Amino acid sequence: MAYAATAGHGEHEHHPTGWRRWVYSTNHKDIGTMYIILALVAALLGGVMSWIIRLELASPGIEYVTNIQFYNVLVTAHGFLMVFFVVMPAMIGGFGNWFVPLMIGAPDMAFPRMNNISFWLTAAGLVLLMCSAFVGEGPGTGWTVYPPLSSIAYHPSAAVDFGILALHLAGAGSILGAINLIVTIFNMRAPGMTIHRMPLFVWSILVTAFLLLLAVPVLAGALTMLLTDRNFGTTFYSVAGGGDPLLWQHLFWFFGHPEVYIIILPAFGIISQLISTFSKKPVFGYLGMAYAMSAIGFVGFIVWAHHMYTSGIGVNARAYFTVATMIIAVPTGIKIFSWLATMWGGSIEFKAPMLFAIGFLWLFVIGGVTGVVLANAGIDFVLHDTYYVVAHFHYVMAIAAIFAMFGGFYYWIGKMSGRQYPEGLAKIQFWIFFVGVNILFFPQHFLGLAGMPRRIPDYPDAFAGWNMVSSVGAAITMAATLMFYYIIWHTFRYGKAAEANPWGEGATTLEWSVPSPAPFHTHEELPVISGGGHGHGHGGLKPAE
Amino acid sequence: MSARTGRARNRASAAVLFTVVAGMVGLSFASVPLYRLFCQVTGYAGTPKTDNVAASTGVVEQTVTVQFDANVNSDLPWRFNPADRGVEVRLGEERLTHYVAVNLSDRPVTGTATFNVAPDGAAQYFSKLECFCFTEQTLAPGQEVTMPVLFYVDAAMADDIDARDIRKITLSYTFYRTDEGDKNKPKTAGVAAAAKPGGNG
Repeated sequence: MAYAATAGHGEHEHHPTGWRRWVYSTNHKDIGTMYIILALVAALLGGVMSWIIRLELASPGIEYVTNIQFYNVLVTAHGFLMVFFVVMPAMIGGFGNWFVPLMIGAPDMAFPRMNNISFWLTAAGLVLLMCSAFVGEGPGTGWTVYPPLSSIAYHPSAAVDFGILALHLAGAGSILGAINLIVTIFNMRAPGMTIHRMPLFVWSILVTAFLLLLAVPVLAGALTMLLTDRNFGTTFYSVAGGGDPLLWQHLFWFFGHPEVYIIILPAFGIISQLISTFSKKPVFGYLGMAYAMSAIGFVGFIVWAHHMYTSGIGVNARAYFTVATMIIAVPTGIKIFSWLATMWGGSIEFKAPMLFAIGFLWLFVIGGVTGVVLANAGIDFVLHDTYYVVAHFHYVMAIAAIFAMFGGFYYWIGKMSGRQYPEGLAKIQFWIFFVGVNILFFPQHFLGLAGMPRRIPDYPDAFAGWNMVSSVGAAITMAATLMFYYIIWHTFRYGKAAEANPWGEGATTLEWSVPSPAPFHTHEELPVISGGGHGHGHGGLKPAE
Repeated sequence: MSARTGRARNRASAAVLFTVVAGMVGLSFASVPLYRLFCQVTGYAGTPKTDNVAASTGVVEQTVTVQFDANVNSDLPWRFNPADRGVEVRLGEERLTHYVAVNLSDRPVTGTATFNVAPDGAAQYFSKLECFCFTEQTLAPGQEVTMPVLFYVDAAMADDIDARDIRKITLSYTFYRTDEGDKNKPKTAGVAAAAKPGGNG
């Protein structure tokens, strides 16, 4: 087979070792691995912050976090870390780097050196963000960084500037990564791998990369305006100079809403691979799935002001954004039904990745339903900035994305490391995590409906009961998270050697045609993909002999 | 496809994508003038008509009360009030009113005013023929000036199903400082700038 020849060939090439292999890396697999390690580190930092938040919120009164600005900093850093330094690096940088070239039959990314700088920009962004917490009063703005709170009047030290520059670096890294992925997917597919034969994970990364390309530069522009407002006396967001703080909200959410799809679309892609593999069926409605993702990506750009219903926008604008937001439920519904139809009649194997995929469906549907509730401008006037919103977005995007990441990790760790995870432990970890996050976030719906506001470390006694329940859920979630780190260690220490394809006939994508662990160089001689139905079909993808 | 042409194709694709990124950054800055233009053209968000306004073409019997509101940013040491609290006008009728501004400081100060009309639906019919807010105003120390506004409410408002029931329109001005005065410190942040050692941080 093709790769047998290339493995020998690869050894003759320049093959750096030691720290140079990683720091100078131009190899998509090594860079992908570094992204995943970065995400694992950032997840622990962001996780610890969320546990401190839940500890403080477990009972009424200010008990543990006595410096309230520090509480604000925790909330802010938790959001930034999880969005920019956990989910995005893991899904796009990690799994995207590893498996897009493998799945489309490309030897590497289109621009290997740019791939390297993307990673290191992201890593530098993480360092800057962590620094910001130790400068002055720290950035206590929330991840939305609304002026005037983020202006020099209310955050006089350089902390917010550090945060802005951290996002600039991470954003530049994301944009470069997105360009790399788009060029790779458009130009470097193996012969026969047409756009409509690409696995759905590759489709999801392609749509995500376009969202990054169009949304992140707007954040960069908005952040630059904030930076000059803070330091050079411009007044983009200051009414005193003819500016308008609402400009920030419009620009931020023009980026921010696509951003939540940037987080969840790769999860859609992973879930499609998992459900197809473990149901041993091609994905139901492949083209519908691919174009539903494209539709979600497009509509994501024209609904941003549903985050701003209470900012004073006109009633006609609210009516439009309500309707446009609800329309998103249509392509999303197509995806949910197609996943269920894929499972329908399938020979389902409940391995750990499949459990996480089903858990994802549960969380995503609950979060999606509360999303339709919040889409109504009238209801949102009551629920805006309450814990109902916190529960909604953690269900639909945060925890759902984490489920896809856990599922993807267990699915692919054999291919990435050559060692298979412990199935029993992983299943236990799933159940603890699933129970934990539901106990953690479901009661927050009740708190929000009762009127408990977000981002405030104290609350009246009336909210005490469900807050305690929620914090107990956080403790259970913490146990399952730490167990995940243990399972990683266990896999590398005791894991059984993984076969090239441990999943059997359901796993039809190209990454299962190379050995485990995937050799340093793969697909140097391009595989030829035979026809026979859409790319996700049974046996549709076979490397040429 | 040889490696060379493949690389060239990748470079070309990347060049297109970089252009898109640059375009989006540009758009985020261009959103300020674009939004202003959009509001001026459509009367969106209570922006009254001020560009190329023709004289009123007809007067109808329906009347509307126009109220006048005045605000001054705290950096501008002026007193600024409308001469009339409000006037009742027929739709289409041109009317002249005045605001009075006094410079309370001992230095000449330049300011300009932003303006807005509420409710939003009336804005596209609110036409200003002549207004002090079209230009910057400089007042000598202690100087008091009377500033005219010549406006009419377009008779077409009587035919707009969304606006014909409007009986009261508020015209609001906010004066803010535009001269060198406070350029060196952030405009909203007098207190914070003083509290922060070392200027820009």
